[in-house]
Amino acid sequence: MNSQRFRTLIILAVAVVFVMSLPVVTQQAQAHKAKHSPEQLKAFEDLFMEQVRIGDLLFHGDAATEKKMGTNLSKTGMACAMCHPFASDTHPYEFPKFQEQINKFSTLRDMINWCIEKPNEGEKLDPDSDAMKALEAYIYWSNRGSKLAPGTH
Amino acid sequence: MSRDRREWKTRDREREGSGTVPGMSRRTFISGALAAGAAAIGHGLIPGISIIDLAYGAESFSFAWISDTHLYPKTLNTRFVEKAERAINDVKNMKPAPDFLIFGGDLAQLGDPKELQLGAELLDQISIKKHFIPGEHDWYLDMGETWGKMFGKPPWTFDHKGIRFIGLDTVSRGPDYWTAKKMTPAERMGHMATLDGSVAGPWAGLGPEQLQWMAATLSNWPKDKPVIVFSHNPLYEYYPPWNFWVRDWRQVHEILRPYQHVTNIHGHTHQVLYNEIGSMRSIGMLATSWTWPYPPEGVPVLTIPMVRVDPGDQFDGVGWGKINVPSSGKVAYEYMMWRKDVYAQSQVDSGTGDNDNQVLSPRVADRP
Ligand SMILES: [Fe+2]
Ligand SMILES: [Fe+2]
Repeated sequence: MNSQRFRTLIILAVAVVFVMSLPVVTQQAQAHKAKHSPEQLKAFEDLFMEQVRIGDLLFHGDAATEKKMGTNLSKTGMACAMCHPFASDTHPYEFPKFQEQINKFSTLRDMINWCIEKPNEGEKLDPDSDAMKALEAYIYWSNRGSKLAPGTH
Repeated sequence: MSRDRREWKTRDREREGSGTVPGMSRRTFISGALAAGAAAIGHGLIPGISIIDLAYGAESFSFAWISDTHLYPKTLNTRFVEKAERAINDVKNMKPAPDFLIFGGDLAQLGDPKELQLGAELLDQISIKKHFIPGEHDWYLDMGETWGKMFGKPPWTFDHKGIRFIGLDTVSRGPDYWTAKKMTPAERMGHMATLDGSVAGPWAGLGPEQLQWMAATLSNWPKDKPVIVFSHNPLYEYYPPWNFWVRDWRQVHEILRPYQHVTNIHGHTHQVLYNEIGSMRSIGMLATSWTWPYPPEGVPVLTIPMVRVDPGDQFDGVGWGKINVPSSGKVAYEYMMWRKDVYAQSQVDSGTGDNDNQVLSPRVADRP
């Protein structure tokens, strides 16, 4: 064993011990060990619907929610819902796909940011931000009756 | 199988069983089939300008329509101002000049007197006669006080070159959703300005007195002479969740039924739209501000859908309308959209054709 590989092994071992010692990670590792209780399922759903609700308000340009989430989604007076009432024409079930205006293979989050930056002239979101996840939750929930059709245009 | 999956199945079956083009509901198909001349026109996708047998006038003339400018104060942003100005310039430069302009409502975005004032100033550049009907965005901050002072309140009527024109108010008689909840005028306006909100309810309608007024106004008009009715909302049941209708459309049709050449020209839907019910033809006009998508159901089978527009170009998919009324024969009607192709030539490029797979749900955040 050369010294390079030995060092890598040591680092890995230390990392594993460190990660195992984090209580939050230990908790995650136990997911699905016990049966789900109705309360637990209800809590999951409540959490989801709360995100849908926040996304709905952001999507409709609600100033108080924008302030709370620290977003600036539009400077043109346009809100998402003005082109997409009921989140229509957002086609979340078509992503990922080649998106013409972005000129690349894109996700729904890419498209949300395009709309924020171009028609709305707002400040684009970190793709992993809470606001982005809430918008995504609202758009998917509104279109949940549609069939998946990834890649279609 | 989860509840949602069952819902999909049911919806699929409904869609397959409807026997109409994709995205059309059974309800629309039936009302379309009852419409006079429906079979002759069909619902194919054709290019170009739509020439519509609108009515028969005594003398040839044209008029222009602008609506749905949705102006914010200039201090907030000028995007909608620029588009309104472009339409106003186009109308100003029409040669020969049209006989009059009809402004079809939603001049302001939030009913602010500053917005209405800005609209009046912009429209002042047009020197021909102007007629006004209000939209919901013009009304619910001060319940039409500023609008009434500046533009007068409909209904109104006038005869011009052999045609009886009627201007309706389809916005002011909404159910009171604000008093019990102690809303401020701005809150009341905010709900009214949210197309897919549920709080303002079925606000679009004529109301009993206005229906009576319309019947009386038409009573001395020969049944074979043309009538053109202007309204902000369409005078039929298109898509109630977005108030793409008037709730008392049945009574409206009852009054108009005996008249052989009735044309309804309306705003509010911000899209290319056409329907026929009995002897009434209904034409939806463009907004200058932005395009509403076609709703998930209810699009009349007689509508040739507009092309899918470029959301990166603020001048795409919007515009105004020109109506030419010759002394006899076909009347030409033109969507003055700032692009070459107005109508979709294939399903994939149409505003409805890409929605075959779309099933939508109403919002959650405005539910009590
Ligand atoms: Fe409008
Ligand atoms: Fe409207």
